Amino acid sequence: MYHYLIRRLLLMFPTLFGITLVVFMVMAAAPGGISAQSLIEGQNLEPEVKKALEDYYNRLYGLDDPAPVQYLRWLNNVSPIGFTVDKDGELEGFSLTKGSDLGMSFRYGRPVLDLLAERVPVTLLLNVLSVPIIYLIAIVIGVRAATERGRSFDVGSGVTLLGLWSVPTMLAGVLLIGFFASDQYWHWFPTAGLSRREALVMPFLPHWSAWGDLLLLFAAVAVAVSLCVGISLKGGARLRMLLMAVLGLFLGGMMAAALPGEQGYLVTLVLAAALAGIFALVAYTDYAALRTGVMGIIGLFLGIAVAAHFAQGEFVRGFLLDRLWHLALPVLCLSYGSFAFLAKLTRSAVLENLQADYARTARAKGVPERLVLWRHVFRNSLLPLITVAAGLLPGLLGGSIIVEALFSIDGMGKLAVEAVQSRDRELVLSLTLISGLLTLVGYLISDICYAIADPRVSYE
Amino acid sequence: MERPFTAKDLLLYAFLSLLLLMILLAMYMVDRQWEKLSQMQRVMQEQADDVRSLRDTVRSLDQRLQGGALASAPSGAGAVADPLPASFSRAQAAAQKADYAAGDWLVSAFAVGLKTITPLVSSDRYASDVQNYVLESLLVRDPETLEWQGLIARAWQVSDDGLTFTFQLRDDVKFSDGQPLTAADVVFTYDFIMNPAIAAPRERAYYDKIASVKANGKYEVLFRFKEPYFNSLSLAGGMGILAKHFYEPYLASPETFNQSKGLLIGSGPYRLADPKSWTPDKGGVELERNPRYWGPVQPPLDRLLWKIIANDAARLTTFRNREIDSYGARPREYQKLLEDKELTSRSQHFEYMALTGGYSYIGWNQVRNDKPSRFADPRVRQAMTYLTDRQRIVDEIYLGYAEVAVSPFSPRSRQHDPAIEARQFNLETAKRLLREAGFADRDGDGVLDDAAGKPFKFELVFFQDNEDARRLVLLLKDLYAKAGILMEPKPTEWSVMLDLLNRKDFDAITLGWTSGIETDVYQMLHSSQTVNGGDNFVNYRSKDFDRVVEQARANVNEDQRMALWRQAERILDEDQPYTFLVRGKTLAFIDKRFHNVALTRIGLNLNFVPVEVYVPAAMQKYTD
Repeated sequence: MYHYLIRRLLLMFPTLFGITLVVFMVMAAAPGGISAQSLIEGQNLEPEVKKALEDYYNRLYGLDDPAPVQYLRWLNNVSPIGFTVDKDGELEGFSLTKGSDLGMSFRYGRPVLDLLAERVPVTLLLNVLSVPIIYLIAIVIGVRAATERGRSFDVGSGVTLLGLWSVPTMLAGVLLIGFFASDQYWHWFPTAGLSRREALVMPFLPHWSAWGDLLLLFAAVAVAVSLCVGISLKGGARLRMLLMAVLGLFLGGMMAAALPGEQGYLVTLVLAAALAGIFALVAYTDYAALRTGVMGIIGLFLGIAVAAHFAQGEFVRGFLLDRLWHLALPVLCLSYGSFAFLAKLTRSAVLENLQADYARTARAKGVPERLVLWRHVFRNSLLPLITVAAGLLPGLLGGSIIVEALFSIDGMGKLAVEAVQSRDRELVLSLTLISGLLTLVGYLISDICYAIADPRVSYE
Repeated sequence: MERPFTAKDLLLYAFLSLLLLMILLAMYMVDRQWEKLSQMQRVMQEQADDVRSLRDTVRSLDQRLQGGALASAPSGAGAVADPLPASFSRAQAAAQKADYAAGDWLVSAFAVGLKTITPLVSSDRYASDVQNYVLESLLVRDPETLEWQGLIARAWQVSDDGLTFTFQLRDDVKFSDGQPLTAADVVFTYDFIMNPAIAAPRERAYYDKIASVKANGKYEVLFRFKEPYFNSLSLAGGMGILAKHFYEPYLASPETFNQSKGLLIGSGPYRLADPKSWTPDKGGVELERNPRYWGPVQPPLDRLLWKIIANDAARLTTFRNREIDSYGARPREYQKLLEDKELTSRSQHFEYMALTGGYSYIGWNQVRNDKPSRFADPRVRQAMTYLTDRQRIVDEIYLGYAEVAVSPFSPRSRQHDPAIEARQFNLETAKRLLREAGFADRDGDGVLDDAAGKPFKFELVFFQDNEDARRLVLLLKDLYAKAGILMEPKPTEWSVMLDLLNRKDFDAITLGWTSGIETDVYQMLHSSQTVNGGDNFVNYRSKDFDRVVEQARANVNEDQRMALWRQAERILDEDQPYTFLVRGKTLAFIDKRFHNVALTRIGLNLNFVPVEVYVPAAMQKYTD
């Protein structure tokens, strides 16, 4: 095992070298090339001035050196051991302890590390919130779709998820902003950014001016959640559907009433019917886990809404809740399209194992179906999921340019695209290096996980 | 046999992770409280300083009183009635209106995140919008007469040769941290810019025309220029004055300054709450009123906020939600929004031609690969201008919110000769000119051919992300086809476009230039600028034009200079090195609660300093 690990770790170096070399070559060979021109872009400057500017940047960042020299210099800078260079660019000697330096981004005029330190937390926050949601929902639906193969849940969830997958993020984002962040419809969410200005001076955690409100909140949430969960678990299908449909009708009516201006009956009717339909559908499904989960969440929001309505004192949102409130739409945009792939993957893996001999044996010896599924089949179906999870690590840092542009969030996606557009050598190479490294580490981890999940896999 | 995982374990894990989360959140909370504490400490320190300086003033007054200054009180009274500087007259007029009230904020949006707002290091327009409120210069322009007026300078004189400018500074100007602004700060600003260790190559290039800046006593500065230059007063008077005591320490570590994100302090009406700690990840910029502002008229607005909203649709929605106070629309959108009763009922809208707005054009490259191209013939360029139906462009692409550009000079500036009019679309004249230049359809395929039988075909390079340019190019393709000219649109990425311009490797290109209040055409069209890296990428060479422009630039007498500019304009009109396309109008919506928003010759006065817009007390939305 250790031999294998060391071999894999050593193999990373040539791979990373290859990745960065290819990226650098493509960038240097692309029309426009790497040059200081984009820094001086089309300003009314006299040629001597322009020349002076260009010389200045060339001297600072060595942009006019031959491409191989530029690459080798970058390589020397990032490698923890290498040659040291004095102020005039002369080689001083070889050092084993010089440490690695990602260099300066010439577009920003700042160290790449600084930029990363600014952008990584934002992207990480977005992904840390959206990835668990994606995995949880996709696995829950995928497993059920496999056990219910060919029945309405399988077909319905498949169609819905693929439908969501096919909606372009750009469109969904604009629609979400237009409907749920606008005074013209429902102004529930902010349109852009990560926090309101007021939130920057708020305390971090939310707080209430009256203790009674906090108690009320706990009580209302507890009552609403236990009611919903109780109905979901104990109530019959008819009762559930009836109650949920009524709730949906009521909420739909409220939504229509919240629209600005006078609304026709049609809008109210359509909204109420749509919400009632969705709620009833949730209540109708006999998949207890999904049903209870969704109904519990509905109950949670219901409880919060009731508590907020009857609260007496003042409530300060706090930095934390404000941030979450700003992240709601971006996280929704990031996650809705990704369910389909994982759910389908889970479904096919579970399906294959459900028909395997060992599952039949387990059933034959009297193991209950639930245990067969979760104890035996699900564990064996994890392998393809582990393969996919290898992409998770680089994925956590890879931003989405579309979502970031839509919601004006300065994350890694924007940084990467802008870097490529302006041929920002250090920044592009550093981003490539980091994402390459994370991908390779992700593969390594998933290979190790194989060995843990499946005793047949061995690297001796 | 391993113990099965039970619900009890799950509860335990959930509890443990909840505990961990709580500890983490509590740590964050304490950290934020520390920050706030240090903020409060800074404010207290500031107040203590203020009190001390106030006490000093009182003491000195006291001593003067005891020393018998009472006797000269009648003559001292004259000094109290210090006349209001002309630069504050507009703000003063606003302050005397019946519904004037101080308070409220102005919230705007930037489409792009700021990299830095440190002066000199920043290069974008957005950063300079912010700095405009913080840094002050010696002079400002009057928005109506366009004459220079003293701001920090009380008065100024020009030597007879036009090379030396002497400014007398006011003695009551203070930076926002209470330190006085003196001649030493002006000299320091120039020296700081000229220090090669500071990353200000752009400014260094601008101020290269200045030979020296010297202080003469505490409140007088002398600027000496190397050569007579028409724009020298604006160079010297428009320099934003940096605080010596604040920026000087960075000379020891220029890297810290060059990489800084928010080192900004000045004598202007607004200031950063902390002049050192702004970072781009704050998600916007916030300026607060400078409590120590020296000016005779205090700015009405409490705070100025800029949010970053990159997405166009989101910006409009935010304006609809009344979370930002101004919105700049594009023609098509503007027309649609005007019909929106709800929006127009609570906003005021302005459509205006800004004096500094600039123009778009098609540049005809006269030399390609060291050989004269077919556009080297002025008749061909004139014919192309006749073919370019600019009125249709104005009507169809800009929906009337633009005007045909005649020359690089704005028709509202004195540089423009009203006798020169734009060429109208005329297919017949164009065809005749092309025939005279030797183009005819020789093989009967409907496309003009030159004497050698090569078809008249060219590529038009344009910036791919500009929607207006895309629509424009399609229209032009049709128009040129009418005369038998084949035009191939070539959408281009920005960095590639810069490369093409640098190598002058294109047939024709459509771009835009911005204008100044007095537009200089030397960089774009003087023949010396055809060298590598010059902006005369169309290779236009005219001896007459060169001579006239050189004379104009070196002439400091305004009337003579204007006559020369007009002469240059006539040459350009005859030669048509560019086909000047249109000047677009700025279309803006402003929230209705802002009063006294008005158009001036420079443009809308919303962002003028001294601030002249205000919100009446009854309509104020934000309070501190």
